Amino acid sequence: MEMTLNVNGRDHRLSLDSRTTLLDALREHIGLTGSKKGCDQGQCGACTVHLAGRRVLSCLTLAAAVQGRAVTTVEGLAQGENLHPMQAAFIAHDAFQCGYCTPGQLMSAVACVREGHAASDEAIREYMSGNLCRCGAYPKIVAAIREAAPQMAPKMERA
Amino acid sequence: MADDAGRPTGGLIGQPHVRIDGRLKVTGQARYPADEPLANPAYAYLVISAISRGRVAGMDLAATKATPGVIDVLTHENVGQEVKPPMGPDGKPTTTTLESDQIWHDGQIIAVVLAETYEAAREGAYKVVVRYAAEAPSATFDSPGVEVEPLKANETRHDPAKGDAAAAFAAAPVKIDARYDTPIQHHNPLELFSTTCVWEGPKLTIHEGTQNLYWLKGSVAGQLGLDLADVRTISRFVGGGFGSKGAPTSRTAWIAVAARRLKRPVKLVTTRDQGFTIATHRAETRHHLQLGATPDGRLTALVHEGWEVSSRPSSYNVSGTATTARMYACPNIATKVTVVHADRNTPGFMRAPPDTPYMFALECGMDELAYALGKDPIELRRINDTQTDPVSGKPYSSRSLMKCFDAAAGKFGWAKRDPKPGSMRDGDWLVGYGCATACYPCNIGPAAARLSLTPKGKATIQLAGHELGTGAYTLLAIVVADRLGLQVDDVQVMMGDSDLPPVPGAGGSNNAASTSNVAAKACEAIRQRLAMAAVRTNAGIFAGVDPATLTLVNRALVGPDGRSEPLETAASRVSPGAIEAHVENVPQGLPPDAAAALYHGRASLLRGQSREDVTAFAFGAQFVEIRVHRRTCEIRAPRAVAAFASGTIVNPLAAHSQYQGGAIWGIGSALHEQTEIDLRTARYVNHNIADYLVPVNADIGEVDVIFVPEEDHEVNPLGVKGIGEIGIVGMNAAIANAVFHATGRRIRKLPIRIEDLL
Ligand code: FES
Ligand code: FES
Repeated sequence: MEMTLNVNGRDHRLSLDSRTTLLDALREHIGLTGSKKGCDQGQCGACTVHLAGRRVLSCLTLAAAVQGRAVTTVEGLAQGENLHPMQAAFIAHDAFQCGYCTPGQLMSAVACVREGHAASDEAIREYMSGNLCRCGAYPKIVAAIREAAPQMAPKMERA
Repeated sequence: MADDAGRPTGGLIGQPHVRIDGRLKVTGQARYPADEPLANPAYAYLVISAISRGRVAGMDLAATKATPGVIDVLTHENVGQEVKPPMGPDGKPTTTTLESDQIWHDGQIIAVVLAETYEAAREGAYKVVVRYAAEAPSATFDSPGVEVEPLKANETRHDPAKGDAAAAFAAAPVKIDARYDTPIQHHNPLELFSTTCVWEGPKLTIHEGTQNLYWLKGSVAGQLGLDLADVRTISRFVGGGFGSKGAPTSRTAWIAVAARRLKRPVKLVTTRDQGFTIATHRAETRHHLQLGATPDGRLTALVHEGWEVSSRPSSYNVSGTATTARMYACPNIATKVTVVHADRNTPGFMRAPPDTPYMFALECGMDELAYALGKDPIELRRINDTQTDPVSGKPYSSRSLMKCFDAAAGKFGWAKRDPKPGSMRDGDWLVGYGCATACYPCNIGPAAARLSLTPKGKATIQLAGHELGTGAYTLLAIVVADRLGLQVDDVQVMMGDSDLPPVPGAGGSNNAASTSNVAAKACEAIRQRLAMAAVRTNAGIFAGVDPATLTLVNRALVGPDGRSEPLETAASRVSPGAIEAHVENVPQGLPPDAAAALYHGRASLLRGQSREDVTAFAFGAQFVEIRVHRRTCEIRAPRAVAAFASGTIVNPLAAHSQYQGGAIWGIGSALHEQTEIDLRTARYVNHNIADYLVPVNADIGEVDVIFVPEEDHEVNPLGVKGIGEIGIVGMNAAIANAVFHATGRRIRKLPIRIEDLL
């Protein structure tokens, strides 16, 4: 079926199988491979993107269902050369090892702060528990979010 | 070992540095194998067996072939003869897939559906109707029909032994005689197993997440009868390995065959559940441990017998007795390992393969012995600490075990512990403190590298290394910058491609030692050329100076008296373009053909426990606080402290993450992870990453890591011991020991869960 997806501020006209997930649409058809497939069944969070500003699992979201709504992926977090404060904090705190969960962690982390769920380490741990990190970067992810949260000025945020 | 890598000069080795690939990883630009852009790919989807033993009697493919978009189906009938079976992780025969109709285990690949889209391939695969000739399978230990194979000694494996352990144990005044079990575990790296194959004429390119580019290349070339030079493997970033991507597996060759048939790229991304059976796992183990001691705590006997499950054709085993026999001074040692063959997929390397299960037994046994003696568990280890390998009598290259215990105990607050089980409480929570020894042998392999340096001070190092999350790119940039007197940003690191010079696979914690030493050797080759040119010229300030005394510091060639000339001047004397060095490093003690074998993907490692000169291990001490709820028996691990001494640490920032990640793996191993198997069908039942429990963020509290300084001049020229695996090794026992301390319940199997404490 024909559809138009708005990703990171750009429209993409696509002809896709009606069963195609948003994750596969991004990765296999638009060429945005930053979002990762870690389970394809909603268990790991590696595929987390923002849909109209809220975090969703793109592997459990059909591409056809998100037409007309803004999708933001990890590729859309930085503004040109300027990293989003969350990205910079992840690097500074070494909040990843293999990096495979990282796009999903970042999208969840940004949403976690915006949702108001980053007030304490306990809250961060709880609201980041949908994103598995098999490398075990959890303590550093918490530290990075704690540092980035106050730096997240609204102007850094894309809708 | 010859000091041909020289000594650190630049002061960068040991300074924390953020990852040079960090920006790629946080912007989504790091390209994992399934991210490679492809022209007109077809998609593959695996069909796997639903029985564990028997034959494929027939397949009805009509509905599959009628599915819109489906192009082709590979089965044993149409492609079975095109591929020779791959070898197992031990380089010996293992289970097969499409080579015949035989089914060795649950979830074995039995067909590959190829289609225009992923969705069509998946639909086609679900429509394959398989008729099986099924036989009753054997699932695990004690299942009817298993074959029991006591392992014998041969050229490569020994059962460490010394004295008369049976008699010493019988005579020992204080004894522990206990049995321990560890479960099946799956690595579950977050990246799904994937393979993409692209042919250009006779040349095959494979994009696959691998910890061993040259082994994969050599294996597929051999399986398909291709010239080694015609196969290229690319894996620039690996989304976690932990051993699961160490040895070649069967899927790769079939995707290569598929791409050849279709004359277009074929991409396979397997599902999470398929990953449980098309790759490897940590097999379940059993242990019988006997410790004998004098009343003052000296060990007099150590008997460790292990049992491990493998597949029918493979005798893959980890034989961790090679580690446990060497941990403590003991005059009488006996060990033995038995493989039990069942209808299962072949196990393989998983983070500290031998040490994780076997040290669980030994370190729980030491805790039990401490209680039997009425001694502090740390003191018991101090009494039996040794600087000599008790089996071989060789000296340890360095062993800072007790320094680690003291550092970690202090930070943890061990002194506050009341040793009486069940004595420490905090409201409704029973509090327990536990500790254990961690260790891992220091391994190093032959390696090659190409290094270039421009007069402007830009260096590029190339080797077929692997970045699994260890910080491998950054490690090399630091070493090269340090040795060439540059900044880390001046160094470009190219890895992840078998067109580059070979290094061993990233396994056995050898990567840092193997690649940093060859990089340092390449830097030394360039330094020598600059120095020789500088002393031979009549014009320069170094004319006639001993070239060995010149060093590269801060983009300059510096003499012993402090006089210096800019790198640009020194380098231009050798070449107006770039100076290049191609070097190979074969650590002393490896066979003469080690370098040649490296190019064929058969790098032999010099192993820490089988060296001629010394025994080389890294050591650590791990401490955990466990809380068990008085009513619900919920188990929490709010804090852990570990201290490690692993020789030279190149990048403490990434090393900290490795250690911490290892400890978190240990929490998962001790409290969460277990692959459940149905005993009647020999099939895994929790084959997804929600039912196979791994720690989530909320499961993890404080995990402190202490670096105990250690200089080791024996282990290798740079003194690098390796850190990727040691972090998990002590955790299983530390946690079980803490559970005992909290509750008085000695749980001798993993994982320890609520139901064990009810
Ligand atoms: S890939 Fe979507 S949750 Fe795992
Ligand atoms: S960094 Fe590897 S899974 Fe999180």
